[in-house]
Amino acid sequence: MSKKKNKQKLEEKVMSQVKTGKISMKPKWYFAVGSLLLFSGVVSLSVGAIFLINLTIFTLRKRGPITCWRLQTMIENFPWWAPILAIVGIILGIRLLKKYDFSYKKNFVLIVISFILAVLFAGFLIDGLGLNDYWARRGPMKGFYQRLEPRNGFSKPGRRCN
Amino acid sequence: MYNYKAMLDLSKLSDEEVVEITRTKNKEAYSEIIKRYQGKLMRYAKYLVNDNERASDVVQDAFIKAYINLNSFDTKRKFSSWIYRIVHNEAVNLINKYKKEKPLFENIDFDSGINIEEEYTQNEVRKMVKNCLEEMSLLYREPLSLYYLEEKSYKEISDILRIPIGTVGTRINRAKLIMRQICQRKKINKN
Repeated sequence: MSKKKNKQKLEEKVMSQVKTGKISMKPKWYFAVGSLLLFSGVVSLSVGAIFLINLTIFTLRKRGPITCWRLQTMIENFPWWAPILAIVGIILGIRLLKKYDFSYKKNFVLIVISFILAVLFAGFLIDGLGLNDYWARRGPMKGFYQRLEPRNGFSKPGRRCN
Repeated sequence: MYNYKAMLDLSKLSDEEVVEITRTKNKEAYSEIIKRYQGKLMRYAKYLVNDNERASDVVQDAFIKAYINLNSFDTKRKFSSWIYRIVHNEAVNLINKYKKEKPLFENIDFDSGINIEEEYTQNEVRKMVKNCLEEMSLLYREPLSLYYLEEKSYKEISDILRIPIGTVGTRINRAKLIMRQICQRKKINKN
């Protein structure tokens, strides 16, 4: 009897809030916007991470072989924010991927490894295609790239180390 | 008049159809969902939080959250897995709030070759689950109660707990071994 009463109470409590409008359904567009933001988040974090990895490769290449660097100069001048932000982007991207249903239906470790490899591959590919050198010479990114290029204290590509 | 007629028809409809009516035509149809699920969800919540009043709070909050987010439910999927998932989330939040969780046997490795069902019948296992469940950690208590007491399939448990189907199987097997140890200890203590 008390179980039945409890059941009725629970139903009444919830339904009274529904009927009086105390609680209302969130509209469909709210969830559509949420999905869109989630998707855009994954895409922009991936693109951002690819760009930063590609920038790191570009900077390393422009500074020549590691043996030519003085450690202190390297620490001072290397744009560390690029690889650090790339790692942060990858981590956030993985966290967003976890919100999708496939993350628990498929092997998530494999998804994470594939995601990281895809981002790294895309970063190397862009550099390999010479897009970095093109952007460093022309286009709106020219100034940004030129700031990353080494001035003094680093070997230039193709130059021998002393 | 309309409501009465609608209510009569609702009992013949599937959960997903009732949800669609609640969303588009008559929000009071939600009471049909509550009627269908409150008993099952109360029982499930009780297994998770080990307390009647808290279980009642969990279920009430879950129904409210489900109603607020009803438009996010995809009617091509199973409603029961969706609502059980909400109860799971609410229960976990409550457990974290009160920190009453007992991490019993959680980090112990077990022989995976033992099949408890070779020694006991399905009904005996179900009885054991009911008696010894509250002493288990949530990690194992949940899949075990969903499988034996709520009679959910591995696929449904995977959707409720958001873990791979293989992990569901592993947890249930480990949970059975833990349960056997707990039940044996209980028997010894009684004797």
